[in-house]
Amino acid sequence: MRIENHPILDLDRDEEKEITFTYKGKEIKAYEGETIAAALYAAGIRVLKASSKYERPRGLFCAIGNCSSCHMVVDGIPNVKTCITKVKEGMVVEEEVGKGDIVD
Amino acid sequence: MKSKAEIVIIGGGVIGASIAYNLADKGMKDIVVLEQNYIASGSTGSCGAGIRQQWGTKMNCLLSRKSMEIFENMNEILDTKRDIELKQGGYLLLAFSKKELDQFKENVKLQHRYGIPSELLTVKEAKEIVPQLNTEGITGATYCPTDGHANPFRVTQAYVEAAQRKGVEFYTYTKAEDIITEKGKIKKVITDQGEIQTNKVVNAAGGFSKEVSQMAGIEIPTKSERHEILVTEQVNPILKPMVMSFSYNIYCQQTPDGSFVMGYGDPDEPESHNIKSSWQFLEEMSKKATHLLPFLKKIRVIRQWAGLYNITPDAQPILDEATDLEGFFMAVGFSGHGFMIAPMTGILMSEMILGEELSIDIELDLERFENDRLILEPSVV
Repeated sequence: MRIENHPILDLDRDEEKEITFTYKGKEIKAYEGETIAAALYAAGIRVLKASSKYERPRGLFCAIGNCSSCHMVVDGIPNVKTCITKVKEGMVVEEEVGKGDIVD
Repeated sequence: MKSKAEIVIIGGGVIGASIAYNLADKGMKDIVVLEQNYIASGSTGSCGAGIRQQWGTKMNCLLSRKSMEIFENMNEILDTKRDIELKQGGYLLLAFSKKELDQFKENVKLQHRYGIPSELLTVKEAKEIVPQLNTEGITGATYCPTDGHANPFRVTQAYVEAAQRKGVEFYTYTKAEDIITEKGKIKKVITDQGEIQTNKVVNAAGGFSKEVSQMAGIEIPTKSERHEILVTEQVNPILKPMVMSFSYNIYCQQTPDGSFVMGYGDPDEPESHNIKSSWQFLEEMSKKATHLLPFLKKIRVIRQWAGLYNITPDAQPILDEATDLEGFFMAVGFSGHGFMIAPMTGILMSEMILGEELSIDIELDLERFENDRLILEPSVV
């Protein structure tokens, strides 16, 4: 399943333009204009982070940038709201564990 | 509300609470604490919460070291319901000139004499403690591994609850409005909720110390000044010590919950009771902090606040009884480092009030400002 329309963001998806980013070191294909979470969801990835206190699995929940359930470490930056952040070519996306690490 | 009390402490911050607890612990009855807002709502609750033992005078070394010993055992001493969140990640003090480093060398010698385990570090050694540190311009550092910080709300609440168990009454949202005296003696305190007859008053009013003293007709040379702080989002632990510099003018710590708390002193800040946050601070603080600790560029600021430093001419507190007014005690003018010495302040003030011998020699009397006996402490913010 692929998320094609977002209720709030005008994503300007372009299925003609395919890009590649990495998740946990694995290459993932995405369409230009879609969010990181949408691309991960399409690739069958449901667990985006481990909760901050008990490290329980957390996945896409509100999808509009409110709930912090989709926080991931993107290009070394922790707590990125992947449900509203557009994916870019070559992005390095990691699962966030706990409160997230700042990666140099 | 009581109509009579043995002593009325004005100020429900950490200083007032610590004094109240120590007086009650020594057996004093009928202690009342007045707080115009809620507990720790003033300078205590807005402070940077650092606990530093790296000082440059004997008195401050002893005050801070003995206070840290109490912080280390506070959960047991006060039988606290909630942990005070003491983190002893150390304080890394950075020097940015040869002169500053020379002063640090002297300080470390003095600190060792009074049992403080500080050490002088090269730039390389400082970077081993904080690998992300941008060492540009840094000439050296000192580090004391037992320095740290604690949660000021929890510490104050711990004192309040321990004091309440010993019979102390705290009246919050109760503002002292006047102190009535007669022939050099205190008669009563008038509040917006009623009057309390008493012969003893403690001024522990933090940012409002001058105003409370004036109610009793005593002039003191304290002034209040806004100091701003910001806090970031929480991330996993990455910064162990409090990083601080007098000359670069910054302090920054990561609390146990993962957020970074930081501030600096604006040299042009006017005297006032203003505690509004400013965008100027946000901008300057962000620049300063990300220059020194570049990894901070990757996280977001979530909130700002400000509190009052209550400053004396030598940036050292006044712990004294007024000469012209029997029973009027002052624990004021902490100049930005009251929280860290609150445990010993409570003990010393209780000793002073009960006429006991003081457990540390202090020279924090009010007269020092007139007699040119200022305390020359090199390590103040």
